[in-house]
Amino acid sequence: MLEISDLVCCYGKVEAIKGISLSIKQGQLVALIGANGAGKSTTLRSISGILPASSGRVVLEGQDITRCSAREILARGIAHCPEGRRVFPDMTVEENLDMGAYLRRDSAEVAEDRDRVLTQFPRLAERRSQVAGTLSGGEQQMLAIGRAIMSKPKLMMFDEPSLGLAPNIVEQVFEIIDGIRKSGTTILMVEQNAYAALDMCDYAYLMEAGSIVLSGRGSELIDDKHIREAYLGG
Amino acid sequence: MINMLILGSTYALLGIGLTLIFGIMRVVNFAHGELYAFGAYFVYFIAVLLGFNFFLSLLISIVAGGILGALIEVILLRPMRGADIDTTMLIMIGAMIVMQNTEQYIWGGVAKSVSTPFPEMPLVIGPFSVSWLRLFVFFAALALIAAAYFLINRTKLGKAMRATFQDRDTASLMGVNIQAIYMATFAIGSSLAAAAGALLGPVYVVSPQMGNIASLKAFAIVILGGLGSIGGATIGGFILAFAEEMGAGYVSSGYRDAMGFLLIIAVLLFKPTGLFARSERIG
Repeated sequence: MLEISDLVCCYGKVEAIKGISLSIKQGQLVALIGANGAGKSTTLRSISGILPASSGRVVLEGQDITRCSAREILARGIAHCPEGRRVFPDMTVEENLDMGAYLRRDSAEVAEDRDRVLTQFPRLAERRSQVAGTLSGGEQQMLAIGRAIMSKPKLMMFDEPSLGLAPNIVEQVFEIIDGIRKSGTTILMVEQNAYAALDMCDYAYLMEAGSIVLSGRGSELIDDKHIREAYLGG
Repeated sequence: MINMLILGSTYALLGIGLTLIFGIMRVVNFAHGELYAFGAYFVYFIAVLLGFNFFLSLLISIVAGGILGALIEVILLRPMRGADIDTTMLIMIGAMIVMQNTEQYIWGGVAKSVSTPFPEMPLVIGPFSVSWLRLFVFFAALALIAAAYFLINRTKLGKAMRATFQDRDTASLMGVNIQAIYMATFAIGSSLAAAAGALLGPVYVVSPQMGNIASLKAFAIVILGGLGSIGGATIGGFILAFAEEMGAGYVSSGYRDAMGFLLIIAVLLFKPTGLFARSERIG
């Protein structure tokens, strides 16, 4: 569904991604793991068009989207749930969800989808008129996920969805993501919590210093010696 | 008292326009006062010289202010996207100088007056008397302030503007066309400034220098209300007008314009984020 080949991305003169290739099949949950600063977030930012690629290709369902704007990429069905949740702090929960559906023109269906998201996340329904900045971290993450769902994406990208959340909330967030996969949406997830990511994914890529150094099925990588030592604590 | 309300409402228009532009685009718009002067001159031009209906002239001036704003944004600011705030500040100072001198070149330095269709006889209610024109200006300004609120808080464009203000990258992930939002913001801010000029021009006189003091006052209002706060700019406009009237009435009319700046110095000393800003926000 999504094919990335030889993607290079730079911040100024520094190459943050040094020519990576990866592929995601329809309906899969693919994890991108690695240490801080390995280039995982940069990869997502580049796919979603916020950070232009220096070279390489990103192909979605056979169409080259490397040079597309963030707006066009979203319109083609890739939603990006950014690191640190990034909800709009001074907008209400409902307004945040509406922003997720910004490009959609079918307002009746948008209203239905919004109600569906609010039913799925009762905590948000209770706070629908509250500004998002006053929500807890977990609630903000639910809102960020709900907002991404509102664009009706084919592929959802999650950047560190568990970051800074309490352990029981982390579990909930992973269950939600698993639910989204089961409903048929393809997922690319960046996660520092390597164990959880490998446990739930179909396929995983390990990034180190801007390159992909290892890839395989989640169950294989969990038993890999290098990964065990470096990322799973022995 | 009535005077204070008229000034306050038009000051609020000026302030809202400036605070929108700064809040969303991080551009310090030194040409804001010139857009105010542009509105006043445009009314003079089409109402007096071309003989259009006065109300229609007001409307056309406001729209023309918006178009001029959009042009300034696309031609002067868009190529400088991502530039330092000081750079865009210099560009806007340049735009101010060009606009002011163009006005002087076309219309000359002599102040013009705009006649209106309102009766000369003031409206007298008990001990108060107020001219029809001033009454109209007050309500028209209030209507425009309400329209600005509605636009920002209730429309899709307004939501996109607020989202861009709060988190530009994430707004673009939602599919917001940031370039278009910047253009719309500058156009709306400019048309509000032009509206203030178009409304106040007929009350006073229209001169090429009118923009200077208007710019200074707009900055004063925005500082009073807190950067990026529309509610703050509205209230700031009224506070400034109140301070000026009080200063002119009880101290000396020569100090009218100084009162506002005394107020700013006081605000900056005691509450540097502005009177109404929680933190930086818009809406």
